[in-house]
Amino acid sequence: MPVVKVLTDGIGEVDLRSIDVYRSRGGYVQWERAVRDLTPAAVLEYADKSGLRGRGGAGFPTGKKWSFLPGNDKPRYLVCNCDEAEPGTFKDHMLLEFTPHLVLEGILLGAYGIGSHHAFIYIRGEFKEGYRIFTQALEAARAAGFVGKNIFGSGYDLEVTVHRGAGAYICGEETALLNSLEGKRGEPRLKPPFPAVAGLYGMPTVVNNVETLAYLVPILKNGWEWFAAVGTERSKGYKVVSISGHVQRPGNYEVPVGTPVRELIEIAGGLRPGRTFKAVQPGGGSSACIFDEHLDLPYDYESMAKAGSMMGSGAFVVFDDTTDFVKAAYNLVRFFAHESCGQCTPCREGGHWLEAVLERFVHGRGLRSDLDMLKRVSSTITGLNLCALGDSIEPFLKSVINRFPEQFEGKLIKETVTA
Amino acid sequence: MADNAAELVSLTIDGVPLKVPKGTLLVEAAKQIKQEIPVYCYHTKLGPAGLCRVCLVEIEGTPKLQIACNTPVADGMVVRTQNAKVDAGRAMILELLLVNHPLDCPVCDKGGECDLQDYAMAYARGTSDLADPKTSKPKGVDLGPTIVLDEERCVVCQRCVRFDDIIVGDPQLVLKDRGVRDMIATASGDPYRHNFTGNVTELCPVGALTSKTYRFKSRPWDLDRTQTTCTQCSVGCQMFSDVRFGVPLRTMSVEHDDAISDGWLCDRGRYNIGFYDAKERITQPLYKRGDTFMQISWDDAFALWARAITDAIHLSGPQSVGTIGGGRLTNEEAYVAQYLFRALGVNNLDWRAGRQRQATPGSRGGTLADLERANAIVVLGDSPADRAPVLDLRIRKAVKRANATLVRVAPLDVSPVPSIDVVDVAQAAAALPATASSIAVVWDGIDAAAVERLLDALPENVTVRTYITSEQGNARGAETMGMHPRFAPGFAAAENGLDTEAMLAAASDGALAVLSIFGANPALRHPNGPLVRAALAKTPFVVVSELFMTESAKLATLVLPAKGAFEKNGTTLNATGDALPVNASLQAPEGVLSDLEMLVGLAEQLGVNLPAQEAVHAAVIEAIAQAPAFDLGDHAFRTRAAQAATIPADGLRVAVHSNVFAGDGTSAHDERIVALRPLAEALLSTDDAKVYGVSSGDRIDLEAGGLTLHNLSVAVRAGIARGTLVLVDGLATAPANSFAPGAVVRVVHVRKGDSTLVEA
Amino acid sequence: MMRKRLYNIGAILQGLGITFKFMFRRQPTVPYPSVMKQHAPRFHGLHELRRYADGKERCIGCELCSSACPANAITVIGAENAPEDRRSPGERYAARYEIDELRCIFCGLCEEACPTDAIVLTPRFEMSDYRRGSFIYSKDRLLVPPEAGVGTPPDERPNGIPADLGRVAEVKSTVDIAAGYSATNRGEVLKTHRRGLAG
Repeated sequence: MPVVKVLTDGIGEVDLRSIDVYRSRGGYVQWERAVRDLTPAAVLEYADKSGLRGRGGAGFPTGKKWSFLPGNDKPRYLVCNCDEAEPGTFKDHMLLEFTPHLVLEGILLGAYGIGSHHAFIYIRGEFKEGYRIFTQALEAARAAGFVGKNIFGSGYDLEVTVHRGAGAYICGEETALLNSLEGKRGEPRLKPPFPAVAGLYGMPTVVNNVETLAYLVPILKNGWEWFAAVGTERSKGYKVVSISGHVQRPGNYEVPVGTPVRELIEIAGGLRPGRTFKAVQPGGGSSACIFDEHLDLPYDYESMAKAGSMMGSGAFVVFDDTTDFVKAAYNLVRFFAHESCGQCTPCREGGHWLEAVLERFVHGRGLRSDLDMLKRVSSTITGLNLCALGDSIEPFLKSVINRFPEQFEGKLIKETVTA
Repeated sequence: MADNAAELVSLTIDGVPLKVPKGTLLVEAAKQIKQEIPVYCYHTKLGPAGLCRVCLVEIEGTPKLQIACNTPVADGMVVRTQNAKVDAGRAMILELLLVNHPLDCPVCDKGGECDLQDYAMAYARGTSDLADPKTSKPKGVDLGPTIVLDEERCVVCQRCVRFDDIIVGDPQLVLKDRGVRDMIATASGDPYRHNFTGNVTELCPVGALTSKTYRFKSRPWDLDRTQTTCTQCSVGCQMFSDVRFGVPLRTMSVEHDDAISDGWLCDRGRYNIGFYDAKERITQPLYKRGDTFMQISWDDAFALWARAITDAIHLSGPQSVGTIGGGRLTNEEAYVAQYLFRALGVNNLDWRAGRQRQATPGSRGGTLADLERANAIVVLGDSPADRAPVLDLRIRKAVKRANATLVRVAPLDVSPVPSIDVVDVAQAAAALPATASSIAVVWDGIDAAAVERLLDALPENVTVRTYITSEQGNARGAETMGMHPRFAPGFAAAENGLDTEAMLAAASDGALAVLSIFGANPALRHPNGPLVRAALAKTPFVVVSELFMTESAKLATLVLPAKGAFEKNGTTLNATGDALPVNASLQAPEGVLSDLEMLVGLAEQLGVNLPAQEAVHAAVIEAIAQAPAFDLGDHAFRTRAAQAATIPADGLRVAVHSNVFAGDGTSAHDERIVALRPLAEALLSTDDAKVYGVSSGDRIDLEAGGLTLHNLSVAVRAGIARGTLVLVDGLATAPANSFAPGAVVRVVHVRKGDSTLVEA
Repeated sequence: MMRKRLYNIGAILQGLGITFKFMFRRQPTVPYPSVMKQHAPRFHGLHELRRYADGKERCIGCELCSSACPANAITVIGAENAPEDRRSPGERYAARYEIDELRCIFCGLCEEACPTDAIVLTPRFEMSDYRRGSFIYSKDRLLVPPEAGVGTPPDERPNGIPADLGRVAEVKSTVDIAAGYSATNRGEVLKTHRRGLAG
């Protein structure tokens, strides 16, 4: 079994919420080393050379993202995106609640790496407990002198602000998150300008996922070669995968990137007895399903993209033969339609329309013309949207309509005899 | 865009090569080759938002369709705005926009000039796959005193939201809820109310936001459109007057009027058009016999008027004849008025019937575009936000977008943009940033001594541009045309006559025999109300030309019914010195003459030969072309020493705030803007409210020198100096000039909200 | 000479023959007004403004008839329905509706333009008067009495807004002036016609 313990090391064994326990296991050592011995450019080099890619879903190389910051003397900000709300994802939730100091150390390293003096963490509104735990961890770290003015006597100041969202999926989109953080309506901004140029309060900003930042700690500890040695050609390192659905032991499993899909199902205990495999949604609600023929693919960014899906945030949802894919599609489309911020047309109207049609299907009142309409509307709205939410509606729907057309046709309205 | 005009980028749109400045957005570039790209959320003045997604174009080299509204041009870009792929994308967007859009077109006020209708015709598929019911949302939502909202029709382009934020700086409208449930509303749920609300009805690409006054009155194709100049304040915005069956139903802004209005109108200019057919309007000359007015013919009116003037000149000389007014006349009328009276030897001419002393900024006057580009702006006196609203939008633009410093020396702060508020001009000069290279001074034309001190205190070696906002639309025109005791047309020196103050003083001594007042209401607007009332009562023959029985008309001997601005032709001169056309779009009621026609009638009776029409036009143009040599606060415009602004030990000093929505004639008799008029309020500082034990909503009675003002509603506002009580000018129910100028008033009674009476 | 005379007699006999032939045929003229002639089902006569069965006016004051009118004979001024006195379904009704029947060319384009089937041309054709002004028909003469309303109003929501203004309502004439003319049939014809268009 290729399950590893990097970020998840110690979770379930010791109380990592306590700063003393965390420090006794080598916590904040990298932070002290970075501030005392390393330049921000050196930290950036670690991030860059390790091949670390964004773990929030898009998979953008972290070092490259940081290097987009313009070299002006404006204040710059690091924002940690902990608005984890992708259906099927629950890894950040676990990291925040069980190893808050690791998350904090990652944020500190990231902020240092981009030369920021103010970092923010945007915590999803529903993570009430996580918010409390993280705030306590932050206070403990502040008391220990790891956060605040003149850290380790180096003259480097870094403040961390904790912000709680109010329960909107769209605030996980980085510009919507920035709007929400500024106290505005949580709706994505028009790009360009990108956050690296004009982000939070119009200043250069980097938004990174919790897991991405947390991986900085082991990378600094073990060196970038250690991280880059694992994984596939272009997808390096480890990944916490949230495996759920029709498996026997759903949960978060940390694995090297590139572990075959079949093995991931095995890790989670396999299917329940007597069931057969139908599909996997490998990257959360926004990703298309992959099927039997893809079971031996390595679970990495490129292979998943090649299979027509994506690795996304690492939400790995397994469907067996008992699944009603019409209901599943309706459930997901309803989610996206409900979470659409409503500012741009395709997502607002298209999502609602698809939801209404699928609702009829669920009640056995679909029309034959609807099948074409579902495909036509969902594919046309993809690519026309302001942000990625609208583009997230199509993949799952399209993949299951194409794969299981009989399930949809079974929900058509019974033709009444007409003259 | 114009700043880096030197850097040109060449690209190809639909096979047509063109060169445009770097940074130009594709949607604007396409306009150069007359290729329309459909837009809902994009607006030239609001910028891109990327919401509607209808402006899709294909750019060679990019796999996905791109939005033209947020894509700047790049060198060598090849763009196609019309091909199968683009059409399919646009058709999809329109299909989606129509999914929940009600089939309301037959009853929608926008029907016929609706972008959704137009683009649906041009780009959408003819059929729909929609088999489910449309969403149901509230219709006919009362958003405020001017606007009705139909949520179902909204396409969420957020132009209204962005207008409030970007242009007005007072973000009242917001988008509430999310997804398909989202709705336009005020954030607080309070009525949508500021001075520019009407503009959102024009910005709205569909019929979601419509004007209450125009609701279901007409269809756009029924309207006769005339372009004219708004004369409600001194900005001179261009606008369209849309008339059906002789009734002005609505006014619309002129989008390309960048030089003056920037494409916006204030609500007074837009909605104050309902008075033309008000039943209170005077339609026949009225002559006072004893205490009552009787209707007489125009021939009799001219004969009586001419007789009174001839007799007065014959008996006591031309100095016993006086003429006040001109700020509401056209340039031609003002020119003819002064020509006629000067021809009779009368030099007692003055346009100034209110508080204002000067209307022409003189040698350093600037354009509105200059105002927008100033580094620092000093507002001295009445806030332009209420006095010349559209001019204030330029100030807000300078502050919000170009980070100009705004310094305000005003009794009342009504603008939402951040400013440094000071109480003295010396502090104002000190508050200016040292780096400011161009400074704009916006003055209300009242306190000459203060503005002179301010100009003296300004740093040298900076460009100073001066602006005066006027109480009446054509004040500057009247002044330029020579309705002034010391100036002939074009500011040529004239034989000195009496100014308004002196005329009123002479009249109250019984030294004036005839006083003609054209389009002015000194009884309500002159700061010394008691003096005006005494003077008008003492003068044997007072003529007032008016649309309504104003306070001054009631005191007159002869009241002449006059035409309003939509009923006559001429030119007007705005605050920045642009001569603008006033074009008639309405037929005046029978029996009503314009002031020009009255003057011609009077001249005939007096035997004075007036110049021909062409000669008047030529003289007007020549007068406007004369560059004035004076500056703000020039001694030619001063009357008496300004009152010392000391805080009284006992009682409150009255300060007056002018608001374009208050007014004696046109706004008082217009049902459409009743809700927009300011209330009869006494505005107090928080400190004074504590001293007098009053709070907002209480009613108070004021007393000074034996004169009283009853039942004023108290409004406690931040930003008012302690010891000052602010009254709004021009409200007949609570005349701000009830007391002598500089009066110190005492609060005599306080009625609390629960009607208990408290002796103060 | 004789031959020519005979020829004339022949012509006379031929003419008389036609006369006699028609003497024994049915008369085409009718003694109007005691007897009314049948009109074609699509005869375009005087207008009427219809109501729904619940008595509400069908007209929503949209002015499409007046803009469709090639003779400029129709004047409509809309107004907003007061909540307590709702004249028509929806928000808008015609405060003034006037047709100058002297200008009208009875082309029926108003009927075609009407989105609610409010204005229809009836077979009624008798409209004589002494003054030209009397031919300006306003709502008091155009509107059918409340009890003559036909058709169910468009689905009304709680706030009184019709869901679909474009729905073709069933049209039934209130005028039954000529025997054999079936207004219901006429409505069917219209419906079939429109179905044909839509399909």
